[in-house]
Amino acid sequence: MRTSKIAALGLTFAFLTFLTLPTAVLAGGSAEAGKKVVDTKKLGNCAACHVVPGMEFPGDVGPNLIEAMKNYSEKDREMLRERVWDERKFMPDTIMPPFGANKILTSQQIDDVVDYLLSLNDKKILKGGEHDGAGR
Amino acid sequence: MRRCFYFFILVFAAGAVAAGGAFAGGAGSGIKEYKQNISTREYEKRYNAVYGKFTEQMAQQGNPADFVLDDGKDLFKKVDGSAGKSCASCHGENGEKLKGVAATYPKYDPSIKGINTVALQINRCRKDNMGAPELKYESHDQLALELYVKSLSNGVPIKVSIDGPARPFYKAGEAYYYKRQGQLNMSCAICHVKYAGHMIRANLLSNNRHHADHWPGYRLKWGKTGSLQKRFKGCNKKVRAKPLPFQCETYRDLELYLTYQANGLPVEVPGFRM
Ligand code: HEC
Ligand code: HEC
Repeated sequence: MRTSKIAALGLTFAFLTFLTLPTAVLAGGSAEAGKKVVDTKKLGNCAACHVVPGMEFPGDVGPNLIEAMKNYSEKDREMLRERVWDERKFMPDTIMPPFGANKILTSQQIDDVVDYLLSLNDKKILKGGEHDGAGR
Repeated sequence: MRRCFYFFILVFAAGAVAAGGAFAGGAGSGIKEYKQNISTREYEKRYNAVYGKFTEQMAQQGNPADFVLDDGKDLFKKVDGSAGKSCASCHGENGEKLKGVAATYPKYDPSIKGINTVALQINRCRKDNMGAPELKYESHDQLALELYVKSLSNGVPIKVSIDGPARPFYKAGEAYYYKRQGQLNMSCAICHVKYAGHMIRANLLSNNRHHADHWPGYRLKWGKTGSLQKRFKGCNKKVRAKPLPFQCETYRDLELYLTYQANGLPVEVPGFRM
């Protein structure tokens, strides 16, 4: 009796999660989350070194990411992820922090960042300049 | 044939001398120093473009660190400790005997078998010559005295020596400067040599030639006066590395390394920075 009640509760919960998950993905939720990671000082702080859309004070230490992303597309997703994970594999003496290798960001956050970066080429999803630098 | 042989020896010797010269900068430590990314002139131009307004404002309103310096001047003459002496008892009423001295600091001191800094020497004088308690590093009085003693060298070109016994300590400072640190995995040199002159968010990355000539100074972000070593701690924290204690051996070696980079520039304290 009791077990079935718990099971029912669990099922409802699972069902609810199932309902909400795909909507978040469809709404481009992870690129949004990625934008926040990119802009937030305590997270990626990518904008300290890179030009990204909508930042008042972007850095110029690294390449302009709006420009750089023109050379990347969906087929480069894995490579892009590796670069954010640990740029040292590509540039051994890089200044860019190894976000994955040093656990600065979680695996999920890096996926979000990559989604965001790839979205920079897709004007329909996220237009440049539409986000304020403060994140949300 | 014989000629050819001599020629070879000559070329070989020349090569060895050239290689020796090239290595003189990083002998033994295996550190390949970065080439300075930006000339002193160009850096000054960018500095004025980014911070010029602030610098002008400060010049008009006065540097809050000037008050700390004034306190240092008074403290210098104040008798303290069991020997009944003040700094002025040994160094002259207005520090006459210390004119230009701070421009040669940090320097190797055989009695501590290491690098002596102005801040450290102030405490050594208090303890050994005055019988007075040492002053806490970064306290108002310690900074005030450091500022006053350094101000006696204002305008004098920095001239620190890294020869002889100072050399290994200089090398240790250099090694620390080039060591990757913290979760963000950065070295001092990558920001202040390789990328000097670039913007990191709203900050202009400064060229390390200009680091040791103007501290202690007032920093707007701190809202108070602080030392060069306080800056070291700040930059350590920025890359999420562990800051070291004030005046520890490594920070003194690092101060020697940075001050040597500033050789030839006039001492200019107190400074002010954003
Ligand atoms: C401290 C500076 C710094 C930070 C912070 C930084 N980067 Fe970089 N990044 C660089 C530099 C410099 C390069 C170019 C490689 C090199 O020369 O080391 C680079 C390269 C890249 C590239 C490759 C671009 C190309 O041209 O192919 C991508 C993508 C990238 N960064 C994304 C990011 C993201 C995303 C973040 C934050 C999560 C970030 N970076 C944070 C400095 C930085
Ligand atoms: C992430 C890049 C970064 C790293 C790594 C870094 N710094 Fe800095 N540092 C800065 C920034 C930004 C400032 C403030 C703007 C400026 O003056 O460069 C600064 C300022 C300074 C200053 C004051 C400059 C002045 O004009 O008075 C000193 C001294 C200094 N750093 C020393 C160091 C030392 C020593 C290390 C290594 C322990 C280090 N920095 C590592 C970014 C960095």
